Formats: sequence, C-alpha cells, structure tokens
Amino acid sequence: MLIFDQLKKDDTPLRAIATAVLLCMILLVAGLWKVQIVSAKKHETDLRNQTFRSVRVPGVRGKILDRNGYVLAENGPRYDVNLYLEELPPYFNFEYTNTVKPAFKAAHPDTAIRGAVRARLSAEARYRVASNLLSRVSLDLQEPMILDPKRFHRHYESQPYVPFPLVSDLTRKQVARFVELASDLPGVELETQAIRTYPNGGTACHLLGYVQRTDKFEDEDINYRYYLTDFIGRTGIEAMYDDLLRGKPGTKSLLVNHLGYRQSEEMVRLPEPGNDVHLTVDLPIQIATEKALSEAMPNVRGAAVVVDVRSGDIISMVSLPGFDPSLYVRGMTHEQYAVLQDPKTTPMLNRAVYGAYHPGSILKIATSIACLESGLDPNAKFTVEPNPSRPSKGAIFIGKRKVEDTAAPGNDYDFEKAFIKSSNSYFIHNGLLAGFKSLVDVGLRFHLGELTEIFDPKMHQEAAGIYPDLDEEKDWNAGKVADLCIGQQVDVTVLQMALMTAAVANGGNVFWPRLVAKIQPSDTLKLDAEAINFAPRVRSNARLNPEHLRLIHTAMLADVENTKADQDGEGTGKQARISGFHIGGKTGTAERAVPGGKDHFTWFTSFAPVESPRYAVVVLVVSGSSGGGTCAPVARKIYEAIIRRENDASLASTVGRPASPTQ
Amino acid sequence: MNLGGHHERSHQQIDWLLLAAVCCLMVIGIAFVYSASFADPSMHALSWTRQIHVKQALWYAIGVVGAIGLCFIEYHTLARWSLLAYWGAILLLIAVLIPGIGSSRGWGSQNWIDLGPFSMQPSEFAKVAFILMLGNYLSRPVDELKNGRLFWKSMGLAALPFGLIMLEPDLGSALVFFPAAWLMMFVAGVPAKYLFRLVGGGGTLIALLVVNTVFMPASWHVIKVPQYQRARLLTYFGQNFAPADATPQEQARARLTQRARSYNVDQALISVGSGGLFGKGWRQGTQYSLGFLPRSVAHNDFIFSIIAEETGFVGSVAVVALYTVVLFCGLRTAGQSRDRLGKILAVGVVTLLFVHVFINIGMNIRLVPVTGIPLPLLSYGGSSVLCSLLAIGLLFNVYYYRRSY
Repeated sequence: MLIFDQLKKDDTPLRAIATAVLLCMILLVAGLWKVQIVSAKKHETDLRNQTFRSVRVPGVRGKILDRNGYVLAENGPRYDVNLYLEELPPYFNFEYTNTVKPAFKAAHPDTAIRGAVRARLSAEARYRVASNLLSRVSLDLQEPMILDPKRFHRHYESQPYVPFPLVSDLTRKQVARFVELASDLPGVELETQAIRTYPNGGTACHLLGYVQRTDKFEDEDINYRYYLTDFIGRTGIEAMYDDLLRGKPGTKSLLVNHLGYRQSEEMVRLPEPGNDVHLTVDLPIQIATEKALSEAMPNVRGAAVVVDVRSGDIISMVSLPGFDPSLYVRGMTHEQYAVLQDPKTTPMLNRAVYGAYHPGSILKIATSIACLESGLDPNAKFTVEPNPSRPSKGAIFIGKRKVEDTAAPGNDYDFEKAFIKSSNSYFIHNGLLAGFKSLVDVGLRFHLGELTEIFDPKMHQEAAGIYPDLDEEKDWNAGKVADLCIGQQVDVTVLQMALMTAAVANGGNVFWPRLVAKIQPSDTLKLDAEAINFAPRVRSNARLNPEHLRLIHTAMLADVENTKADQDGEGTGKQARISGFHIGGKTGTAERAVPGGKDHFTWFTSFAPVESPRYAVVVLVVSGSSGGGTCAPVARKIYEAIIRRENDASLASTVGRPASPTQ
Repeated sequence: MNLGGHHERSHQQIDWLLLAAVCCLMVIGIAFVYSASFADPSMHALSWTRQIHVKQALWYAIGVVGAIGLCFIEYHTLARWSLLAYWGAILLLIAVLIPGIGSSRGWGSQNWIDLGPFSMQPSEFAKVAFILMLGNYLSRPVDELKNGRLFWKSMGLAALPFGLIMLEPDLGSALVFFPAAWLMMFVAGVPAKYLFRLVGGGGTLIALLVVNTVFMPASWHVIKVPQYQRARLLTYFGQNFAPADATPQEQARARLTQRARSYNVDQALISVGSGGLFGKGWRQGTQYSLGFLPRSVAHNDFIFSIIAEETGFVGSVAVVALYTVVLFCGLRTAGQSRDRLGKILAVGVVTLLFVHVFINIGMNIRLVPVTGIPLPLLSYGGSSVLCSLLAIGLLFNVYYYRRSY
C-alpha cells in the first residue's frame, strides 16, 4: 500500500491504526469469501427452496379401449372455480383497514393491535374477502355454498401459491351461468381439469377397476411441493397397468414471493401422455352379457364369462352387482359408499375371479374325463337306485352316508344319459372306481386351484380356489371323494371353469386368459411410439383323448338340445337351446351350508358352436334356483348377442341401443 | 496509486484519489438504490420526483454542496464553532425523545424528527458534531492531556450523546462514539494508561453484558437489556431463545420468535451468499424483488445485501476496496495535516466511517450482531448521506489547508 508508506515512519499511532483498519478490511473480504464462494452452494439452495415451488403436472392418462376401439375409460373435463390468492392482497388490505380493524377497535378500545391479535385480524380479513367472493359465485350459480374457514386458512398458510378451490365439479348449466355472470370477479377463475370418465357407467367395472386421487406415486422419486390432481389405479386394469396408463408427469416451477404468493411460473418439463390399453373385451358383448345376467333373477349376484376358446381371450366378463367407477373419481356420499360396502351384495367383489365357489355338477365334465381315462365303458348301463325317502328320485349310499340324486331311478343310465340327467349316483359310482388320484389329476391338468393370472398376482385380485394335490389322498375318504366327483369339497372361480370348458372345446389347450391385446402410446406421432402386443399364450395341454372329448361334446350338446322325444329325454340345459346354433352345455347346482340353511350356487358352463367351437360361456348365479332354470337362459341370451354381433358388426344391433361415449 | 514525489504532492490542493473513490461509491449508491426501487412494485406508482433513487441523488447533491461549502472555511475556524454544533446536536437528541417531536416511523426506536417533506436523524448529525467538538477539545498542548480530569471530560463528551441515543434506543448509533473517542485520544497523545483503562473497563463491561444477556437465565439478569437487543445478541451467538427449563409450548413459541428475529440476517446471508462469484446482474436479484429481504430495511441497512447479490464476490470486494481507499486517504490526510487538530479530526472521520462500514458489512455476513447502522454513502437516507459527505468534506478541508502556514 503506497498510502501506507506515505505515513510518516515515526508516526506510530497512525501506522497502528492503518494496520488495524487494513486487517479489519481483510477480515471483511475473508468473510465475504466464506459466504459468497465457500458456502455459495448452500445459500443458493436456500434461495431456491424459498423462492421456487415445484408442482407436479400429471400426464394425460391413457384410455382403456375394447378390442374394436370403443372407449371404456377416458378423460373428460371437470369444471372448477378456483380462487387465485395472489390477486387478492389489495382486497385483503382494504377489508382489513376498512372493516376488520375499525370493528375490533370499537369492540376493544384498549387492546393494542399487534402480534397475534394482528395476525388473527388479518386472517379474518382474508376469510371475509374469500367468503364474500364465494357468496357472489354462489348467488350466480344459484347454489348455496359456505366457505369452510378451517379449509381456507389451512390452504392459505400451507400453499398460497396455488389457487384455492372454491367450487368443484360445476354442471354444464352452472358453467354457462358462471361465464355469463361471475367471470369478472377478482381472482376467480373457471378452470377445467382432466378427470377419469367411464362413458359406459358401470360396464366392465370389475375389469377396468377404479382410480383414486392421490399424491403418492411410489415409483416416482421426485418430491414436489404440490401435486395437481392426478389419479392412481386401485384395482383392475387401472391398477395393473397404472404406470403405463399414467404417462410421465411434468414439472412446473413456481416463483413465489415472501408471502408465498405466486409471482410467475415456468414449465420446466412437459408431461408425457400415458399409453392406451386395448382390451380383448368386446364392448357390445360385454353389455349384452351384463344385461343377460342381470335378468336372471331380481338383485342377481353372480358372474358370467365369455372366452374365445381358440385364444383364451376374455370377450366379456361380468360380475354383478357392479359399481360405477366414476364415484371414486367425483366422490360419493356416505350412502353410496355404504352400498358399495354392503357385506351381502359386495358390489366391489369380482365374482368372476375373486369369488371361489363349489362348482357342483359342472365339474362332472372333469369327472367324466377321469372315468373315461380309467376305462369306463360309455355304453355300459348303470342302475340308479331309488331314494328310500323320496322314491321318485335316485340316491347312492357311500357306507352309511346317502347322497341324493336328482336323476330318477332306472337301470338304463349309460354315459350320455347320466350326463344329461346329471346323475350323482352314476358319477360317484364311477368316480370312486377311477379313484382320487385319477380325478384330481384331471383337475390339475386344467390348473384348478391355481391362479389364472388374469391380473398381476401381486395385486391380490384373484382367488386360486381350493383344489387338492395328488399327495393328499390320505385325507380323502370315500365320502369326500364322492363329493369331489360331483363338485363339492372344492372351490373354483368362474374364469377357471371357462378356461376348462374352453380346453375341452378346443381339444385340450388350457390358455392363459388374455385380457389385454396391446398397449400403445396415445401419441402415435411420437418417434418411439411402439406398441406392446400381447399374443395368446397356451398354458399347457391337458392331454385329452379325442375320443373322450367327442363323447363329452356329444353329451354336452345333448344336455342342451335333447328334447322329450329323444331316447334319453331332455337335458338339464335345455333352456340354453338356440335353433340353428349348436351349444354344448352342462348345468350345476352346488350347495353350501350357511347359517340357517343351505345356499345354492347355480352354474351353467357351455361352448359353441359344438361342431367348430369358438366361444365358451360360463354363468354363475348365487342363490339361483337351478343351473338349468336360472343360468342356462342367461347363456342363451349371451349366445344370441354373439350371433347378432357376428352377423352384424354394428354396435346398436347387438345391444339394442347405441353406446357412444357421450351417453 | 502513485501520486508522484513529495514535492509535487505539496502543490496538490484536492485529494483526487479520495474524490474518485467517493464518486464511485455515490454512483454505486444511486445504481443500487434504483435497483431496489425498481423491484418494488409499490414504488412504480410514485412520480419520478418521489422515487428513492432520485431522492438519494438529491441528498448527494446537497451533501456535496455542503462539503464544498465546508472547505471554504478553514478547519480551525470550524473548530471554534464546534461547541455550538455539539450542543445544538445534543438539543436535537433531547428533542427527539420528546413525544410529538420525535417519531419512530413505526419502528422500535424513536430517532427521527419529522420536518414535513423530509425527516432527519439527529444521531447522524451528533456524530459529526462530536468529532468536531472532541477534536477541538483534544487539540490543546499534549502536556495538558496528561491531566486525568481532561480525560474524564473527554469521556463525558462521548457519554452524553451515547446516553441520549441509547434512550431512543439505538444501540448501533450509540456505540460509534466510543471507538471514535478512543482513537482520537490515541492520536492526540492521551497517556496510554488511560486508554488501556478505557479498553479494559469497556471490554469487561461488554463481556459482562453479553454473558449476562446471552448465557444466563432470565431471572439472573443484573442488567435488563431491551428484548429486541437481547434477541439480536442471542441470534448472533446462536443461542436458543427459550430457557432450558421451558415447556414445549414455550419452546415452540420461542423458536417462532427466533425465526422471526433472525429473519433479516438469514435473508441477508442468503442474498449475499447466493450472489456467488459474479452475482446475478444488476436488477436481477430476487431476494428484494420477492420481498424476502424486508422492503423496509433493504435499501438502507441492508443495501449491501442487494449489491452483493447482484454483483457477487467481485462486486462486494470492489465496494470494500473503495472504502479501504477512502479510509487510507483519510489516514494519509491525518499524517500530512499541518497540526494536531487536523490529524485528530481526520482520524475521527476515518474511525466514524470505518466503524459504520465494518459493522454494516459485517452484519450482512453475520460477522457482527445486527445493529441498525447505515453503510456510509450507499444506504438510502438523507441524514446519513449528508453527514457522511460532511465528514468527508472535513477530510478535504484538512487536506486542503495542510500546507497553508
């Protein structure tokens, strides 16, 4: 320092002062170095944290479509009125100065307005402004509304940088009124947001599943300060392919001031739309199946499945009662929620795959195979003994235990007659001859007791049923094996029966069910827009003897088509009959002891056309009167819809009404 | 910086280096007060004559005129008027304490006198008047300074404005008087034993005060320090506001208060730190425009935060360097002055400026506790700007008349 040298050498005090000043200035520079260079990163982070709020912007959720592109789930607009708080401070101040403060001063002349009192009064002023705006909106929309102070204050304190939702889900009429009357209110904006819509209401609800609003996406690792409304699939396809449907969220960065109000915003990353999921389901047949099943009896509880026997494709799958997935999107009342949780009707339960039931006599198809494979002569005559207590019906005794038979006593029961009359005596007698191992082996070849994996097993939305293993023979006495022959003692799902029937129809291939045909990016212009295709997959071959299959096909056809004039009389499935379309079927009525009596599971399993099988249709109705009486007509209606659909591809012809997304 | 040989310099009447540094600081002052006003939307509505950077420029002009005017009167003559200036300032300091005359402008301390279109801060004028007064008092022959009574009288001259300003209360401004008095006595030749006694006594007192306030439970406090002063000290020493035996509710409340109290410093530190090496650019700082740096203090006590945020380490070091030039020019003036009065006055001015610069910049980077004192020439404010320029005018005066005998 030249100035330093210019100080007189002998002027010690001045030199001392100069040294001290210089040292202090160096100390300042060192301090600045520490703050601005060494810990600059930390301060920049602090600055970012206090001035920016990252907001998650959801990608447009992909659609769910049927096999022909009919929409099952898509996104529709929801109209909300939002309040932008950053436009209101002048109004807050005005209200505070002109109303709240004078009123307080008048009431408490001695209390000083500062600290907590001031904060409380400011909050009151803000609430009054927001509340007045809501009353204006309320008046214009002609719907009484009251602003919940707690909700408003909580929003103001935690996230004033995003608009406060004043009114949600306006009707079209309200939208029109708002645009006409209320759109110039300060800070009040009408906005749309995309929400999940299901244009067909509850149709295919158990397949589609439902979505719920959420902020928690466990597969996303970015933490946002705020999450714009987005949905996550909870059940069904919505849950199983949630990650693909959801797309990639974008990020919006909000610049906020010290009061937390939004100053400006910038889209940091654009959201990417999700993928469309194309199901194998055929919407018209799905609707027809639903209608047919619902007509089986009043308040029907049951399920119906239509499978393409050549591919394992799920053409339709219905479980009743169902639910409207939109309820989970738009919110529901307590009453609506109570209906969904009713323990008897259990609308949320997918009875086609998650309910497991005794199959009853439809399992005699498997029993037949076991018997034939064990050497049963299909032409050998069997005598059904009369039931001592009900001589018009048969019965069979295993030891001391009596199993009743709905077939009449007689000595002319060959395989086909026993099959179409569903004679318990015949199948128990021959099943016991075939033995436990043989019976169980057939079921295992149809993968009974195993998940079909129609939904990801991790989702736990499917039941495996109950079916014994080969090494469990010691636990099965003759009485239990007899029950097994007629479909008691085991539990199966409707889908398992459909796949078993499909295998019987197609010559022995047990398919994995195929519900999703392909998954395709919604934005087909995208460069890497490549679809994921799902091909039909054979799970295993059940190794069935063609001759046995021919016998069973014939017997199943007879069960539906035999008339009184036929030698064996008419079959139990006669109500499924359609002239000119050959359906092979088997009825079943299983019993389960419930508190206070017995409950019935009535079944009808079938495939058609018998000469060249394409469809397997299985119907289950809980508490039906009989398989033939309750379920066979349902199957017939489903087949009628299929025939109409095959003859005329238009939707209206199949379901009798146009099904358009706008409905 | 080479100003040539001794011979050449003797003809020089104006300290050009000092002038250049002061001009640079004034340009920076206008630029960043403008930057601050630019970011404040409430300023946009005002007419240009009421914009704070225009007002600041006006005060610079008034200050420069005042300083030049000061140079026309030789400092010996000025010193003869010091008694009047000093007691006038004392009267103003008393007046400001009278309700109705003094005003707190809504803040904690009552240190303003409203004069219609503008308001003044008597404590600023008292600082300059005090330097003139003490310089005059100490300029007597060195032998007389050995008298103990004279030392205590000098202390009394400092203690009077100190006490009055403490009553406002404004600790920051009050504290300036003692370093100035000490250094002026030091160069005047007051015996070392008195000066050491002063340092020892003052140091012990301050240490006791800090221990008393910061590290002891409230019930043990011998001296009651105003709550906001205690909070500032606690913040600086990183102590919890809540006593150790407080209930959870009390602790929660104390944490909130603590955050509120340390808010300004925290925000200043974020401003300065986020500036990094080169800063965000003029008018690009966000801390002030988004209101994180409170609008009420940013353009005066925390103007350095804005400068540091927008110009980075480079800019802040430049500012520190400019002040260093000003201070050393002052010390050089002291060394070259023709008599002891000139030397004492120059040292007084240098000390005054230095204390302000060090404390103000220091509090922006948490080197010293927060005390609300302005940064000379840069902070917005008429009294501060005017008095800083008058003080610097004194330096020019001493420089100009250094060879006139």
